[in-house]
Amino acid sequence: MNKNYILPGFVVLASFGLITFTTVLLPNFIFRPTASEFAVEYTPKEARGRKIYVREGCVYCHSQFSRPQDRDFGPLPQAGDYVYETPNVLGTIRTGPDLTNEGQKHPDQWHISHLKNPRTLTPGSIMPPFGYLKDDEMNELVAYIQTLGKKRMVKYHRIYQPDELRKVLDKRKVNVDGSAAANAGRGIYQQNCATCHGTNGLGNGPNAIAIAKKPANFSRPFYKDYDDVTWFWRVSEGVPGTRMPQWGKLLTEEQRWYLVAFLKTLPRETEVYPKGYESIDPEKWVEVNKTSAAELNSVKPAEIIKTDGPAPGAGGGH
Amino acid sequence: MILSDKENSASKNFIITAVIWLVVGMSLGLTGAIEFVAPDLSSNIPQLTFSRIRPAHINAVAFGWLSMANIGIVLYIIPTLTRCKLYSEKFANFICYVWNFAIFAGVLCLLNGYSEGREYAEFPVPIDIIVVVGLISLSYNVYLTVLNRKVKKLYVSLWYMLGAFFWMPIVYFIGNRTFVRLDGLNDGIVNWFYGHNILGMWFTTLGVGIAYYMIPKLSGRPLWSHSLSMLGFWTIAFFYAPTGTHHILQSPVPEWLKALAVVFSVALVIPVITVLTNFFMTMKGNWWQVANNLPLRFVLTGALFYFVTCIQGPFQATRSVNWYIHFTQWVPGHAHVALLGTFSFFDWGAIYYIFPRVTGKQIYSVALARAHYWFTFIGFLIFFAAFTIAGLVQSAGWHLGIPVGQWVVELVPYWIYRALGGAMMWFGNILLLFNIIQTVRGVKPLDEPTVEPAMVPPGLARV
Repeated sequence: MNKNYILPGFVVLASFGLITFTTVLLPNFIFRPTASEFAVEYTPKEARGRKIYVREGCVYCHSQFSRPQDRDFGPLPQAGDYVYETPNVLGTIRTGPDLTNEGQKHPDQWHISHLKNPRTLTPGSIMPPFGYLKDDEMNELVAYIQTLGKKRMVKYHRIYQPDELRKVLDKRKVNVDGSAAANAGRGIYQQNCATCHGTNGLGNGPNAIAIAKKPANFSRPFYKDYDDVTWFWRVSEGVPGTRMPQWGKLLTEEQRWYLVAFLKTLPRETEVYPKGYESIDPEKWVEVNKTSAAELNSVKPAEIIKTDGPAPGAGGGH
Repeated sequence: MILSDKENSASKNFIITAVIWLVVGMSLGLTGAIEFVAPDLSSNIPQLTFSRIRPAHINAVAFGWLSMANIGIVLYIIPTLTRCKLYSEKFANFICYVWNFAIFAGVLCLLNGYSEGREYAEFPVPIDIIVVVGLISLSYNVYLTVLNRKVKKLYVSLWYMLGAFFWMPIVYFIGNRTFVRLDGLNDGIVNWFYGHNILGMWFTTLGVGIAYYMIPKLSGRPLWSHSLSMLGFWTIAFFYAPTGTHHILQSPVPEWLKALAVVFSVALVIPVITVLTNFFMTMKGNWWQVANNLPLRFVLTGALFYFVTCIQGPFQATRSVNWYIHFTQWVPGHAHVALLGTFSFFDWGAIYYIFPRVTGKQIYSVALARAHYWFTFIGFLIFFAAFTIAGLVQSAGWHLGIPVGQWVVELVPYWIYRALGGAMMWFGNILLLFNIIQTVRGVKPLDEPTVEPAMVPPGLARV
């Protein structure tokens, strides 16, 4: 071999070797994230579902990493969350929605129907129908989809607040501790929220009967932990997996702060169980509905089992 | 005789089968594009479902068409540049059969759901083994040919080709090492090292090498600067390898890896500028030739698209542009302008020039070849514009806070145009296949040899 080529040849080998070492081997030595609390160790059924996800090529339209600029996608995944994800299904294109936090947003039956015929549930969707999957495979796939981000969503259900919302607090003009704001909020509440949460905030609005995941009962002492920003964030972002809408898209920032002011006035020393509404069989809801919606919304204070403090919804500050 | 020992027979076989794979791959791609407009077209047939067609399409065009066409062209160029026969023609023919079998089996596997699930590395393990062994055998064949050469100095094309045949087996092996199980993100890092380097270390190096041969040859003008071309080669060798992480730039992989990917991606401007300066300076004062030299027109169109893809690339890799562009249809548009717009155009030009020389027969019809050019060129412009605009519209919708699932409805027009452009290109390549078949069959050419002198074998041109 001509000696002129030995040095260049060596340089090519060395530089390519060095770069390959840096980008392929080195990350695997020094970047070894340990499993975080959100990493999902799949059960055999879910693992089989994940294999079906890979086999059917879901990754070619659905990504599995949400980014800071993706609004309403829930908490961001961290490196430790991906430890059990082999082969990786991070994805590079988002023809369909990102699935990082998809788990528990919809019931199993919704997923099965959606996989069989996507356009019945999401009109305009271009997802191909996967009706050819056997029933077992379908259940396994749905079991896998339901694990996606499930732990993350449970953990952050109450405490997660994007940093952006901290800025919202700075420019807030509404005094949420004042009675004027609470009174303004009461009107907004009655117009928008009472159909599900009930006029008194006990989660017993007329729609509550038909909803599988019951609306929140604001008399629960649990809500004492909510600070202003958490209330504001929850109202703005809705609750994934339930019928609670993202009010941030429907109400102005000011209106949402009024709503927060009103919600803060609701008493929550002792949890109040509105009588009767849980016992109505949703199956018979259609028949019940024939009577009158007003009747169903008439859980009067007299029927409430136990209540301490002022009457719910009294408002007017502390 | 199954394993022919005839000179250039391996090159011929590779080119013919590559064109068949091109039509197969484009048919798969077109089916996928139509399914974006009519999603119920698959009607619950698993093999027709988009998510299975897409990997089959990518692998058929990347490994079936582009790799095989590149290999076929290289197997002609290397003996020509070294002025000696290919080390083993029989062996190369054997690899052609094996490679075809591997792609055929691989595409069938993917359509039937036997996929490894990593992008660009979907082929199951047995197919991977065949491909790696095939690549190593080809490298062996090519390197021994170059060692036996009669010309002392290595032309720049040979550098590129030798580089590609050295890197590709390694890169492919790393990308498909399923026996080493890596955790999620590490798996992603290695996956995208492979996914991007198969472009940089295989398609780009072979494609640019072919263009470096074709442009001076077809235009009859010497290369503008040999030292500049060498600078391009060494910089691409140095800068390409760590760029893969820009595909997962906002995922939680280590920051230093992302920084490395961004810096090196931007640095890729250097080889691109050197290569294009060289191409265009070689053509300076000779642009009139594109009017009556079809293979040259193909190659130079490819060079223009190379400019587009390589200016897009470094910008896309920066964090601020990636922030907006990533996950949208812009990215597949970019991938197509590289593989289809650039390297396929290089290969088409090279095939029209080389195929008469390896078969000794004049190309059947110049008119069909010209129709092929215009159908693919105009089809590709429509197709690329649809992809790119769709990407921008898509991202705009997301950043307005409109959910992905709702905004999808707004993209229907672009998908219609994309399928339209795709159908035009598909038709153009049916013409190519027909032209190649007629040429191989030895049907009497429709044109005088003087109409397109480049598409006529040297012996016939003087008649």
